[in-house]
Amino acid sequence: MSAAEIADIELVGVTKSYGGNVVVVDNVSLTVPRGEFVSILGPSGCGKTTTLNMIAGFHEPSSGEIRIRGRNQVGVPPEKRNIGLVFQNYALFPHMTVQENVAFGPKMKGQSKSETEEAVRSALKSVRLEGYESRYPKELSGGQQQRTALARAIAPRPSVLLLDEPLSNLDLKLREAMRIELKEVQQQLGMTFVYVTHDQEEAMSMSDRVVVMSDGVVAQEGRPSEIYQNPVSAFVADFIGKSNLLPVKQARDHDGRLTLTLGGGLSLVSERSGDIPANDITLCCIRPENVQLARKGASGENLLTGRVDKLVNLGAHAELWVDVSKDCLLKVQVPVRRLQGIEIGSHVDLLIESAAIQPLAH
Amino acid sequence: MSKLLSVGYWVFFSFILLFIALPMVVVLAASVSPTSHVTFEFWTWTLEWFGKLWTSKWLDPFILSAKIAAIVAVISGVLATLGAYAVAYEKCPGHDAIMSFLLSPLAVPQIVKGVAIVLFLSSAGLFRYLGTPGLIAGHIILTVPFAVRMIATSMYNFDKNLDRAARILGASWWQRIRYVLLPLIKPGIFSGMTFAFIISFNNVPLSLFLVRPGQSTLPITVINYFEYSLDPILAAVNVASLLFILAVIFLFERIGGFTVQIHGGSK
Amino acid sequence: MRLGGTMPSLRGYVPLIPPVTILMMFFALPMGMMIGLSFQDGDTGSFSLTSYERFFTDDLALDGFFRTIVMSGLVAVCVTVMSYPIAYFLARSTSRWRAVVFALAIAPELAGVVLRTYGWLIILEDQGFVNDLVIQLGLIDRPLPLSHNMFGVVVGLTHVLLPFGILSLLTNIQGIDPNLEKSAQILGASRLSVLRHIILPLSVPGIVSSLLIAFTLAASAYATPALLGGIKFSVLATMIYQQVLFYINWPYAAVMANVLLVIVLAIAFTGARLESRLNSKLHVR
Repeated sequence: MSAAEIADIELVGVTKSYGGNVVVVDNVSLTVPRGEFVSILGPSGCGKTTTLNMIAGFHEPSSGEIRIRGRNQVGVPPEKRNIGLVFQNYALFPHMTVQENVAFGPKMKGQSKSETEEAVRSALKSVRLEGYESRYPKELSGGQQQRTALARAIAPRPSVLLLDEPLSNLDLKLREAMRIELKEVQQQLGMTFVYVTHDQEEAMSMSDRVVVMSDGVVAQEGRPSEIYQNPVSAFVADFIGKSNLLPVKQARDHDGRLTLTLGGGLSLVSERSGDIPANDITLCCIRPENVQLARKGASGENLLTGRVDKLVNLGAHAELWVDVSKDCLLKVQVPVRRLQGIEIGSHVDLLIESAAIQPLAH
Repeated sequence: MSKLLSVGYWVFFSFILLFIALPMVVVLAASVSPTSHVTFEFWTWTLEWFGKLWTSKWLDPFILSAKIAAIVAVISGVLATLGAYAVAYEKCPGHDAIMSFLLSPLAVPQIVKGVAIVLFLSSAGLFRYLGTPGLIAGHIILTVPFAVRMIATSMYNFDKNLDRAARILGASWWQRIRYVLLPLIKPGIFSGMTFAFIISFNNVPLSLFLVRPGQSTLPITVINYFEYSLDPILAAVNVASLLFILAVIFLFERIGGFTVQIHGGSK
Repeated sequence: MRLGGTMPSLRGYVPLIPPVTILMMFFALPMGMMIGLSFQDGDTGSFSLTSYERFFTDDLALDGFFRTIVMSGLVAVCVTVMSYPIAYFLARSTSRWRAVVFALAIAPELAGVVLRTYGWLIILEDQGFVNDLVIQLGLIDRPLPLSHNMFGVVVGLTHVLLPFGILSLLTNIQGIDPNLEKSAQILGASRLSVLRHIILPLSVPGIVSSLLIAFTLAASAYATPALLGGIKFSVLATMIYQQVLFYINWPYAAVMANVLLVIVLAIAFTGARLESRLNSKLHVR
């Protein structure tokens, strides 16, 4: 294997349990190649923070192996792992200036004064925080504190950088700006980032790869677009983006075209047979933006009629809840300019592309 | 009706403030009054009583009290920091029970502690340790719980992520104590030590049992003296020792910066 | 400290060795010895309740016992009544006088008990400040008996213990949501009814803790009763001191000390339970 092919982080069958029966992380395997930006995404309690803490060395796995640049890390204390970590609350040392905070890592690693100064200078330059060296954390804005934390973590040139929901304390505007900056810093440094978050937009917008976790196991892993377009389970479909999850009563396979029978006498045709056997299909997922308003008098497959039950105008687009059968409300996203003549109680015709209907087993 | 009520409230309020201030003001005036008759005719005021303090009769007990208070402050600072570290920071198993034990002397009246220590020293054949060593031991029992409480508070407030941040940046156990924990709890340690100093310096009930002839603290010397007379020199002693306490607080504050903590912020 | 997560957990107890040893040696052990001694016969050293019998049949001792209770009760009430307005002001005021009042409320603590008692002696004695003033005004011709009695001691102790009352009430009142008062006022309650129906009921835990702390500290105070009360004013604390240093009757001193300890612990214990009951009742959240 050449150097570039050695993965920066490898988790092999990592399990963490407490008291033998409470399993927080269950047999997770993961490979992060050098220079990749990977997000571990999941709701609180899914085991993502525990996984991060095991990579950092604050927790030891109950079983399994963690390798960093090919070397097994079990039993290696955090201070010896050469890892960077950005905390959710930044954890800046309040009694030290920005300069002293950023210099802390190089200093602890025994670097010389000039090396330390150079490391601080370049770290502050990459986060664009020059000129703030003598400020104390209290004197910085939230965004500046965030950058200081990032600079402090990258200053000792760690082999990988872990980020634990680092943007969740910022307001929305700043958060969106920081996403772009974080990604730029990562690409500039060519450093491996492992980013833990519960915010799917954050994960989608920055990552090369997303690992969705649920109940201690990896629910799905892949490129952001892949996960969005082809969720493998109702959990992933629901957690990532908005979706309509409709129960399927019966599914029949006609040469790669599936006929799905739903409740209330509805039936839809899907062109994505995928690899789920027709008998196992219990649900289908339809993204709201894949449901279109049909022209009056249109005909064809996957054409539904319903009554608008709720209407929420979000500015650029609007969300309609359309009552298509007795107990089936379909969420639909339409551009606001198409709203003319539609109000609560209006009858609308809806068209769903057969390629946009994703059958699910669970 | 409500007007009368609010006038009544302010009258009572002012009366209480006057009540609080009065004895201190009177002692201040007495210390500068020319005779034992307290006067507020300030053009007659004099500092002659303070000049008369410069004899070994008052200086010796003052030096002993200051010495004991300084030793007690340092020892209880060290003991309380160790105790608080195990209990409040590392949260060793059983930390709640150990904390109660460390605070338990607070529940016992000082005079009872005094009896207990004097009985212990005498029946253990340690009677010769009355005086300075006994005073130091007794005062430490008194001050350690206060210091533990103050230092433990600053340890409980310490964000554990700072320790983890230092750790992941490569700091060893000792480096984390030295560069992160100690600087951040320094205000707590110094406020605990200041408190210990004041308690020890002003103490009466415990010292009563533990002084010995020739080794008497300042407050005990003062009360022994004023059972017989209300000499204005006593006012001067009291004012001088209050000024000393204020100077000590100022000094400790300059080193430890604990008012910051009292006002509830950090830097 | 677990260094790598693999250290035996016993290491966590190492820092406790010095403080625990010192407390054991100079607190726990002496306390045990003192309690043991109170159950010993003075001559033979065998178990006996003689010293307790003597205490509870000794008129002078019982007199001192009851005087301790009465004195502490009076002080507790005075401290709490006088602390309340100050604590309320400190909890609610935003004026710049707040800092001044706070300093004034706490400053006496720095001065120590001796200075303050001395001040009260100057004020209250027969040729003192107050008597001088009222005689000069011609209100009376003989000095009022203001010191060397219960009155003087209660005044002195109230002054000494006010900071404790203020601090315990302050913590409590600061915990009462000011919006409760605002909403009561908007609902039409007068200042007086806001006080009676909102603030007072909610500050009961603070009042209880102020009463308790003042009572226990007054019962154990030595300097103020000894100096402001005069020779004839005996309470448990002064009697203990006399037994140890003048009569050198240690078992009897131990008995008195234990009686005082039991009073203080009983009150602190019931008080703590009462307080936590009240607190859990009042905290709806």
